[in-house]
Amino acid sequence: MFQPASLKGESPVPIDERIRNRYLLLYILIIILSFIPCSLFEYWYVVYLWNETLIWLFFLFLLLNALGAIYIVQFSALLTSVLILKVVNLIHSPKEGIFKRSLEDRDYLFWNIRNIIKKWPLYIIASNPFPWFKNRFTLRFFGVKIGRGTICDNSWISSEFVSIGKNVIIGMNSSILSFGIEQENFILKKVRVENNVLIGAKCVLLPGTIVRQNARLSAHSYTNHNAVLEENLIYTGHPAKIQND
Amino acid sequence: MEREEDLKINLEFISTSGVYKTPFSLIIIVQLFIGGLVLLVINLWFINSLYYLLTGTEFYSFGLKAEWYYWLLLPLNIYGNIFLFVFTVILFSASIFKLLNLISKPKEGVFVRGSKEWKYMHRRFWTVYFPIWLARALPLPWLDIIAYRFFGTRVGKSVVLYEGYIDPEFVEIGDFTMTSLNICIFSHLIYHDKVIIKKVKIGKACVVGPHTIVSPGTVMEDFAVLGVNSYTKINQNLKGNLIHVGTPVSITLPIQSVEESQQKAVKVKEDITNSEGAPLDSNLKEV
Repeated sequence: MFQPASLKGESPVPIDERIRNRYLLLYILIIILSFIPCSLFEYWYVVYLWNETLIWLFFLFLLLNALGAIYIVQFSALLTSVLILKVVNLIHSPKEGIFKRSLEDRDYLFWNIRNIIKKWPLYIIASNPFPWFKNRFTLRFFGVKIGRGTICDNSWISSEFVSIGKNVIIGMNSSILSFGIEQENFILKKVRVENNVLIGAKCVLLPGTIVRQNARLSAHSYTNHNAVLEENLIYTGHPAKIQND
Repeated sequence: MEREEDLKINLEFISTSGVYKTPFSLIIIVQLFIGGLVLLVINLWFINSLYYLLTGTEFYSFGLKAEWYYWLLLPLNIYGNIFLFVFTVILFSASIFKLLNLISKPKEGVFVRGSKEWKYMHRRFWTVYFPIWLARALPLPWLDIIAYRFFGTRVGKSVVLYEGYIDPEFVEIGDFTMTSLNICIFSHLIYHDKVIIKKVKIGKACVVGPHTIVSPGTVMEDFAVLGVNSYTKINQNLKGNLIHVGTPVSITLPIQSVEESQQKAVKVKEDITNSEGAPLDSNLKEV
């Protein structure tokens, strides 16, 4: 909901600095490409409306034009990054598993490249006043499955290897991470959240977690790597264990 | 009443919040439009007056003749537009909020999905969402407090509402209270098909620590401190002049000076090593 701008931020994805510096040009290319439809639109707007008969329309639609320009930039950023992502995935398809954190490991390298590509659209859409754009709209383009009737606007969700069922409630400031870094190793594992699950505020789901139907996770708790939360049970604690009554 | 009691037991463990997306959430577009309309009218008048000062003719006569000091307003026009927009949006949505409150008075209690209260709670939240988002996006730290006051939250004087989430209704915050980074103060809680609404009351000179959750129905008495990374149960009462810690809050500590607490810490360490050092070590390893 109405969190301050500094907390809404973009992804807490730790992109490797060596790889980021090398692919900086790709990042800038995406930014430039995403501004092309916007500038075409502005050009059209000025050319067609800046004459004596239609000048009143020019001023009438000036504010709508500004709003439209912002959204055109957002959608074109999303589309260009999805297109480039498709090409990159053809070169090397994303895989789950445990990898080494070195430049020789192709899976680690391509995970970083994918995140460099996703960074700009996620950043620009996070600054949007419509709260459902970031997670529900953008992440679906990146291949995350999010069911109907799900509340997940205030949480941070990884942009790949995540599937969320129907009628799930994910609390404020929770994060669902499908990646993990441990010393020299790098883990990528799918997180699955099934239907009607309830996850409290400020929870963390680590990679490989499976939350079965109707399970409930209490606030301020985290799940272990590869944990399975069974049906119809309440879990609490660090890491999450079955609640004893 | 019996059903309500049953619900409370289940609800105790979880603090989840957020509201569903309803058709009413498109009110953001109406708010944007109204804010933009005011901006447009003011700017048209201003540009028109400047044009008159430059050339001596007008696009359209507003009946007000421009004076030389209109040039001084030019820098204000550039930055003031942002504030004008924010304030019109806040005022407009505050009036919608008042109207919604007139149609259906906000009530405390447990409500089922599809009921009138459920609907109006969602409507109120979507009305408040955009103005507070705007107020928080501007670099004025007291603007969100003003926005909250417009929506009927009682906020005392010299309060710090730092970076966190606070519900706009059924929250009362006393004077000199500080809230820190990344907190959640909830007066509503959605639990599958039910919503529970309960008043949160925070007294004078309280401190709400970072990364904490205050659940609906919590009462913090004057000078109470809620420790880092803890959350309160529903309907919990936190006594004044004490530090409260735990998930959910179960431990209380006295407020004391740093030297005192350091001395106590040393003593506690000695006690542990003297009496039962071995079992504690093994416990730590298990963790």
